[in-house]
Amino acid sequence: MKYVEAVNSSNLLNLIQFFNASEEIYAMETARNYLTSKKIKVIIAIPVDFSELLIWGYPGLIDCISDSSDIKKIQENLNAVYDSIKIFVNQNNLTPQFEVIGNEEFSIPEGYSFKYNYNMVLVLSFMVIGVGMVSTILIIVQEKPIARLLLTPVKRAEILSAKYITYTSILIIQDLSLVISALAFGLYVVGSLFDLFLALFILGFTGLAIGIFISTFSKTKTQANQLFFATFLVLILLSGIFIPIDAMPIYLQIIAYALPLSHGSPLITGIVTKGKSVFGFDFFTLLGVSVFLVIISFIIFQRRKYEV
Amino acid sequence: MEISKPSDNSMVLVENLNVTFGKNQIVHDVSFNVKQGEIIGMFGISGAGKTTIIRVLTCQIEKKNWSGNVVVTGLNPSKKKNHSKILSNIGYVPQLELLNLYFELNPMANVEVFTSTYGMDKKKAKETAEKLFKILDIPEDTWKKKVSQMSGGEKKRLSMAIGLIHNPKVLFLDEPTTGVDASKRYDILSYLKKLNQHLNTTMFIITHDLEAALICDKTAILRQGKLLEFDTPQNLISSLPSGGLVARISIENLDQKGIKTVQQFNSVKNVLRVGNETIEVLMENFENNLPKLMKYLFENEVKINSMSRDIANFRRLFQIRIQEEETKENEVDISEINSEGGIIS
Repeated sequence: MKYVEAVNSSNLLNLIQFFNASEEIYAMETARNYLTSKKIKVIIAIPVDFSELLIWGYPGLIDCISDSSDIKKIQENLNAVYDSIKIFVNQNNLTPQFEVIGNEEFSIPEGYSFKYNYNMVLVLSFMVIGVGMVSTILIIVQEKPIARLLLTPVKRAEILSAKYITYTSILIIQDLSLVISALAFGLYVVGSLFDLFLALFILGFTGLAIGIFISTFSKTKTQANQLFFATFLVLILLSGIFIPIDAMPIYLQIIAYALPLSHGSPLITGIVTKGKSVFGFDFFTLLGVSVFLVIISFIIFQRRKYEV
Repeated sequence: MEISKPSDNSMVLVENLNVTFGKNQIVHDVSFNVKQGEIIGMFGISGAGKTTIIRVLTCQIEKKNWSGNVVVTGLNPSKKKNHSKILSNIGYVPQLELLNLYFELNPMANVEVFTSTYGMDKKKAKETAEKLFKILDIPEDTWKKKVSQMSGGEKKRLSMAIGLIHNPKVLFLDEPTTGVDASKRYDILSYLKKLNQHLNTTMFIITHDLEAALICDKTAILRQGKLLEFDTPQNLISSLPSGGLVARISIENLDQKGIKTVQQFNSVKNVLRVGNETIEVLMENFENNLPKLMKYLFENEVKINSMSRDIANFRRLFQIRIQEEETKENEVDISEINSEGGIIS
C-alpha cells in the first residue's frame, strides 16, 4: 500500500491534491497558497527517496507543515498525520520507524506571544464592531433638535449623510489608534498594516451602520439600548468564535454567514496570522452588508415621522 | 367673519383650510390672511387645531391630509418643490428649548449649526447672532458657555434668536410663554414685540396664554378646529354687548342659583364666574340697565358685597366666545335628543 492510499484511508485526513515535486517545481508554493487560503490544513511532504529508505531499513522521514494560525488546531492536524502513518505501517507490516518533522506555518517570531496574537485578533474584532455600534446607537434617537432641523431647508439625507461622515471620520481615528496600540503592545502582523487597517475599518463601519440603523429604527433611547444588546449578543454568539459555524443547524448557519463578525474575525485573522490580502470574500461580504444597512437606514430615516 | 383680501404684503393666506386624518376632521374650513409685520396670536384650548394649522403652514403635513388654498410667503406648501423655499423664509421656535438647542454646545455653536442649514456666511451669521443676542439681552458672558449652564429665561431667548437667525419673513412661535414663571412671561412678550419692531418680522404665536394678546395685532380664536374669530383684539372686544363694558359684582355665598338669577335678568347677555364670589356681567344698553340690574338683584335677595365697572379684556372675550359655542352645541344636542323623543328635565 502506498502512503498516499493510507492518507486517503484515514478518516481524519482528506487528500485535496497530490503533487510530484520533482516534476512540478511550484508544488510547495501552490500548497502554501492553499494553506493561506484555508483550502488545506496541513502539507505532508514525502522525500524523493522515501521507498528506498524504507527498503534499506532506514526510518521514513515525513515533513509536515501545519496551519498554525489557530493554536488549537495544530495538534489536531499533527494527530491526523500520525493516523495516516499508523494505517500505512499496519497495512504494509512495517516496523514503525517514522519520524514526523512538524513545522508550523505562519508561526510568529521569537519575542512575540502566540497566545497574545491569537487573542488580540478576537479582541480587535469585538472591539471594533462594538465601538462602531456604541458610538452611533443613540445619535438619531437621542438628538431632539432633529425635528427642528427638518424645518430648515436641510434635507433628511443631508442630516444622515453628515452623521455618517462624522462618525466614519471618528472611526478612522479609532482604527488607527487601535492598530498603533496593538502594534505597540506586541501584536505581530504577518500581513500588511494597511490591509489590517482596512479590515478593521470595514468591520467598524459595519458596526457603525448597524448602530445608525438601530438609531433610526428606534423610537426611544431604551428601545435603542435594548436592541443594541440583543444585536450584539447575536453577533457574538453566531460569530463562529465560540461555536463553529459548521456545527450549527443549517438555518443558524445562514444567519451566521449573513452577520458581520463571522466574516470580520476570519478577515482579521487571515491578515494578522497568514498575511492574506484584505480583498477577498469576507471583505466584500462586509462591504455588501454595510451598503445594505446604509440604504435601509436612509429609507427609514426618510420615512420617519418627525413633528415639532 | 370678514377676511381681508390677499395683497402684495400678504405673508400668510389661508382659505377654506380643512385638515383630515383618516376619518377625523381636525380643522374645519379655516380662512385668514396675515400681512407683513403683523403679530398674530392663535388662541384655543387643547385640541382646537392650532398646532395642526401651523404644521400645514410649515410643510409638516402631507397634502393628502389637507385641502384649501394656502400661501406662505407667496408660495404654496401643497407643492413639494416649494418646501425648501418656504422653510428658508420661515423661522420656528418650538415650545421646548431642548427641541431647538444643543444643550452641550454654546450659543454661538448652536448658531453655527442652524445657520449652516441655511447656507449662511459664518461672519454674517455671527454678526446677526450678536445683534439678536443684544436685542434679547442675552449676557455676553454666556455666549461661550454651554447652553445647559444658562438660565431658563436665557434659553428661551436664545431659542427665539435661533428662530430668527436667518432673518425669516415669518416666525412661528409655539407656546413661547409656557413654562416661564409669571413675572417673566411679560418679559418674553415684550421681547417679541421688540423683535417685531426691530426686524419687521411677521410673527405667528400659538398659545394658551391669553395675556399674549397684549402684543398681538390680530387674534384668532379656535375651538374644535373651527375659527371662531379673527380680528384685532380691540375690534373683537368692542363687538361685545355695550362695547365690552362689564359689571364686576361680588356676591356673598355665590352659587349656581345666584348666577342663574343674574342670567334671568332681561338685558343680561353673558355672565362669567371670574372668582370664588365674583362674576362679570355683560349686557345690552349697559349704562341704563346697570341700575336696573342692581335693583333686580336686591329684590331677589342676592347679597352684593361690591360692584365695579370695567372694560372686558381679551381673556373675557375668549371665555365668552368659547362659552357661547358650548351653549350652542348643548342646544343642538338637546334638540337632537328632543327630535329622537328623549326626555328633558
